[in-house]
Amino acid sequence: MALSGSKSDAPDVRHCRSRADRGSAAVALREEGFGGDLVLIGAAPEVPYERPPLSKEYLRGEATLEDLLVRPPNFYPDQGIQTRLGMRATKVDLEGKVVELEDGSRLPYDKFLLATGGRNRRPPIKGLDLDGVYDLRTVSDADSIRSEVAPGRKAVIVGMGFIGSEVTASLRMLGVEVSVIARSKLPLARVLGEEIARVMESIHRDQGVEMVFEDAVEAFEGIGRVGRVRTQGGRVIACDFVVVGLGIEPITEVVADSAVRIENGIVVDEYCQPSVAGVYAAGDVANHYHPVFDRRIRVEHWQHAIKHGQAAARSMLGSQKPYDEVYWFWSDQYNYTLQYAGFATDWDELIVRGSLQQRKFVAFYLKGGRILATASMNRGKDVRQSVGLIKAGIQVDLARLRDEAVQVSDLAES
Amino acid sequence: MDHFVTIGQVSDIGEGEMRQVEVAGTRLAIANVAGTFYAFGDTCTHLDCSLSEGDLQETTVTCSCHGSMFDVTSGAVLQGPAKKPEPSYRVEVRDGTLRIEV
Repeated sequence: MALSGSKSDAPDVRHCRSRADRGSAAVALREEGFGGDLVLIGAAPEVPYERPPLSKEYLRGEATLEDLLVRPPNFYPDQGIQTRLGMRATKVDLEGKVVELEDGSRLPYDKFLLATGGRNRRPPIKGLDLDGVYDLRTVSDADSIRSEVAPGRKAVIVGMGFIGSEVTASLRMLGVEVSVIARSKLPLARVLGEEIARVMESIHRDQGVEMVFEDAVEAFEGIGRVGRVRTQGGRVIACDFVVVGLGIEPITEVVADSAVRIENGIVVDEYCQPSVAGVYAAGDVANHYHPVFDRRIRVEHWQHAIKHGQAAARSMLGSQKPYDEVYWFWSDQYNYTLQYAGFATDWDELIVRGSLQQRKFVAFYLKGGRILATASMNRGKDVRQSVGLIKAGIQVDLARLRDEAVQVSDLAES
Repeated sequence: MDHFVTIGQVSDIGEGEMRQVEVAGTRLAIANVAGTFYAFGDTCTHLDCSLSEGDLQETTVTCSCHGSMFDVTSGAVLQGPAKKPEPSYRVEVRDGTLRIEV
């Protein structure tokens, strides 16, 4: 999405795509008192909605599209926000400050926010275009998958990241038989590390999921419609339908071949700005510098989309406050709630409170005595309380960290 | 007509703490914020988790499941994913007894 706005002396701000980051930015611009023209441009036909339920409550028929909306549809006209939905922004003239849309119309702007998000990665696998092979990104994708669901039908899930894991859980909850094929060694292995990922594996196993790890799809096979999946490891798995979840790639074409730097998304600083005047980027598409982790990161989670959208709105209105929110997300699978705060790619110590076996625990990922990240299962309060420790980057006393009697929020004082 | 129901003693809930009570089959959360008591719906409007098992900081309760934040004084949503407010109930303290208006 792009968001653009303008009004004589007030900045003009513009946006695109149907997502939480864009929606939250538009909402925040108004709430922070921006009175100028505001145009919300989105490729999707819907007003901005939140995606987390698409693999969970919405897919299971427990929530409606209305439940997912960032704001009800009448919010936008009521707030004087113009919407150009179902309309892609194709090009931005950075010097002339004009956004071009796919119908050829040209919108001048003072400030322009790119919240274009991502599209599902579709690697060149044979048979990917067969009927019955789905991926999940939008409400209509979820509707298509939902239409295949019936107890006793058989699904193959490709990839065991968040989408693969959550869709697996939702389909099992609806009585669908599920087989999983993933290159990784375990579910969510990259994010959680082996020890915690083993817990996720055991949960799926108990739910009767067949899991094929360290393998990949050679081909989807069938006459017109998928009927089986052949793996590189030589397995052949019969199925009624397939859901592919192999990650996303950021959508950056609108600023392709421009002064805006693209490298794993749109490269921005801690103020949501690439080094081009009047342009901002937020959410899944923004490879942003984060002062707490002292590096650039691109994050694809709901809380970040909301908070980063709000941060972009503040920057657009002239605030000098850097974005330093600690990332946080949850993943509900069956009746387990996994939560994670922070960001850790490597750690030298993992300290667990509670019991992995009983699936009620909180795990701290440490490096050099500092907590980089926290993961929990059905113990969300501890994750909440660890956010301050992660943000402060302080050394914690490991003996106290191991001691259940010490509240996580009290670990800062030693 | 206004109707008060006794839900416990002031001494049952320490400062900064919350407790779940059930009134006529409805689960409510009672929070003690620096000696003032607030009552609100205990079932998170997002996905039904118990708010009294969450985290109370001053007048903000954070749901332990998905991080929704509510103002305990009014039930208003301060931060999603929840979108709908919690019902809020008036609490009366009389002779060390907590009563809510239903």
